[in-house]
Amino acid sequence: MSAPLLFEPAAGIPLCWFTVASRVGGVLDPTGLEGFTRQAGELARRGAGGMDRAQLDDAIDRLGASIDVEVDRDWVALTGTCLERNLDRTVALAAAVLADPMMSEREHEVLRRESQHEIDEIRDDDGTLVERYFQMQCVPGHAYGRTLIGTVDSLERIERDALLRHHRGVWAPDNLVLGVAGPITPARAREVADVLESAVAGRQAIAPPALPAPESPPGRRLYLIDKPQRTQCQLWIGHLAPAYGTADFLALMPVETAFGGMFSSRLMQEIRVKRGWSYGAGCRMFRSRAPHWLRISLAPSREVAVDALALTLELYEQLAADGITAEEHEFAVRHLTGSLLFSQATPRQRMRQAVRHQLLGLDPAYPRQVRAALEATTVAEARAAAARWLHPRDLCITLIATADDIAPLLDKAGLAPTAIIPFDSY
Amino acid sequence: MWTFEVSHPFAPGLEVRRHRLHNGLTVLVLADGAAPIVSYQTWYAVGSRHEQPGATGMAHLFEHLMFNQTRSRPPGVFDRLIEETGGDTNAATWVDWTFYRDTVPARDLAMVVELEADRMANLLLETPQLESEREVVANERMQRVDDDIDGFADEELGRLAFTEHPYRWPTIGWMEDIRGMQLEEVRRFYRTFYAPNNATLVVVGDVVETDVLALVERHYGGMPAADIPPAPSVVEPPQESERRVRFAKPTAAARLVQGYRAVAMGDPDWPALSLAAALLSAGPSSRLYRRLVAEKEIASSVDCDVAPFRDPALFRISVLLTREHGPEDAEAEIADILGELAAAPIGAEELDKVRSVVETDFWSDLEGVDGRAEALGHYQTVLGDFRRLFATAEALARVSADDLQRVVAEYLVPERRSVVIVDPDLEGEEESE
Repeated sequence: MSAPLLFEPAAGIPLCWFTVASRVGGVLDPTGLEGFTRQAGELARRGAGGMDRAQLDDAIDRLGASIDVEVDRDWVALTGTCLERNLDRTVALAAAVLADPMMSEREHEVLRRESQHEIDEIRDDDGTLVERYFQMQCVPGHAYGRTLIGTVDSLERIERDALLRHHRGVWAPDNLVLGVAGPITPARAREVADVLESAVAGRQAIAPPALPAPESPPGRRLYLIDKPQRTQCQLWIGHLAPAYGTADFLALMPVETAFGGMFSSRLMQEIRVKRGWSYGAGCRMFRSRAPHWLRISLAPSREVAVDALALTLELYEQLAADGITAEEHEFAVRHLTGSLLFSQATPRQRMRQAVRHQLLGLDPAYPRQVRAALEATTVAEARAAAARWLHPRDLCITLIATADDIAPLLDKAGLAPTAIIPFDSY
Repeated sequence: MWTFEVSHPFAPGLEVRRHRLHNGLTVLVLADGAAPIVSYQTWYAVGSRHEQPGATGMAHLFEHLMFNQTRSRPPGVFDRLIEETGGDTNAATWVDWTFYRDTVPARDLAMVVELEADRMANLLLETPQLESEREVVANERMQRVDDDIDGFADEELGRLAFTEHPYRWPTIGWMEDIRGMQLEEVRRFYRTFYAPNNATLVVVGDVVETDVLALVERHYGGMPAADIPPAPSVVEPPQESERRVRFAKPTAAARLVQGYRAVAMGDPDWPALSLAAALLSAGPSSRLYRRLVAEKEIASSVDCDVAPFRDPALFRISVLLTREHGPEDAEAEIADILGELAAAPIGAEELDKVRSVVETDFWSDLEGVDGRAEALGHYQTVLGDFRRLFATAEALARVSADDLQRVVAEYLVPERRSVVIVDPDLEGEEESE
């Protein structure tokens, strides 16, 4: 067998975790068929190995196990959690999902309706809804801007036979990365990996796509997502950022942290601590294979939303113009390097990190190497990267609020919306 | 001066040990060198249950204020010291407790012991901090309740199901109480409840027990025990008939939340009710999930739980409907399934299945140092003995099909039920029956 296996031995608790992942993710979804990769992944889990959905669910639950599909923009994963004594039987069920999914027409229709109901759930949750609209608007035409779950209309256009073909191309030997963690020997982990890899033997892989990165449109664009009865506003502000694992991303990590990655960061201090304007205020770059977004987020009450937005823009302009101080850089690097301990504390965390980095085309040991790399960065490099990548005049601003309340205030502050969009239109 | 009280095995080669300091401070230590980190948690036996009408939300607002300044440390220093290690600090408040969590590299244990001892005894409470945190908490409430349909429905369920007991108000507090909190009340709350004999320290990670005890004694040993007022002993009157309210919110799909008057966490029936919750909604083959979501597409999600509270609380069934169905459709199916479970014991195979699901969940919660500390702290604070965590796991494994049938028939009945319904109203009107 040839697929890379990342194994983490464990002790203490009698659980095992495994992941079988493919390097092909939701960015493959054709335009107009958003949600395609996710539908393929979810449908495969609904009946396999001669068992229909109910029978497969029964078989997994009888083991006290879970087998779930995760769909990212850059990858797809089938993950399992089970008691150690049930590992082999759980892996056999996961292998059946890969090898022999039923993908029935009936379940395809049910899944389509369920996904449309999930879109309703997103519309109910302002924190998720603002992300959905921001992703769409941030850089028009960017593959990462397409919704992974799809739209009500795109889901209607997806056909079952195409999903089956897609399944076989995604789950193929050349695309696989495997991970196992638990209180077992390396030899047993290898057996687990062999069972999973055998399930897809002989298939021709769909190649991971090249990802062109369109330029961000110039100027500030403010999209007001109009939703009734809002007492506060969910705000996302951002633009394109470098790809994860690049030198620029690394140089910007202390900037991200000093500006909005800690409680003592500039944003939290100015927005929450000094003014009490929002429960949270932060900044984050997305960790993806190609350039993705940097986004600032906060949730002020409607009464102070416009002031909070104006102050955030001012703080971001200062950051872009002056960068961070040497003291901020040193502190952020100490925080970031120290925090690595916690994201790598358990065998499951280490295994999943290694798998994800391999999927992104990086060394699976990158999480352990990043400490030295961060310590080697300088404040001058951080400022230079900030000058290249931070564009406070060319921003996408997405705001969930009640338009009747907030639009006049935005106009008055010189932040008139580019568009007012009904919250349930996408 | 330490008193060793008890120990209990956690996993092969690991055990939890409980000590008590001369001033009443309880300390649990689980030494595990699997990773060079430590979770240091301080559990205070005070939550929203200890509040008074008109001052609801005090315990939670106070939790925010604990991150401000002490007599020797200006505002912001606490957070910066933790962040500088790469660590993380946070806190949570619920009905029976408030706990503070510091997760740091093990080499920084001494620092967090000193920081936590300092804010237990030397917090400075002044008007500017109160005003700033008041606004933050008001915003948190808007985010979690006022603009969140599920948070709103849960809050209304508590208000409907309890008429006397403090569980009737939300832990975050009513907005008018948050707005009206006075500085002197906040100071009095601190003096009353933040004392070593009202706290449990839980230390899990790469530590040496003797070092932990020496550090704790050095920093907490000089604090006097306080006169902690007895916990409120309000007994909620029996519920004799179903209660029901209905609201409208801007959503495409309705919500149904049922709360059945159940038992306290320490009650012998709690494990059987907990297993009943898993039977109904844990895993895709669970009874309610299969019927409501997979087979009939009445709902897009369903969730059941029995509250892990000190006093008798609710068994909750929460359903997110699909847009094509109303709450009445779900209510009919729930009644049908509960009727089946009350009429006959489930089969051995299904019982084994639910036990396996619960066993996996139990260990999943204990994967990392924070989860372990949280579970130990919760059981020690709510039930007075961390060993009840393991006893509960054993009790769950012993629940029989007859036990399940009996608790469903006894507790999950209409006269013990309160129901909150949120209907779609995209026109923007909000109303209550």
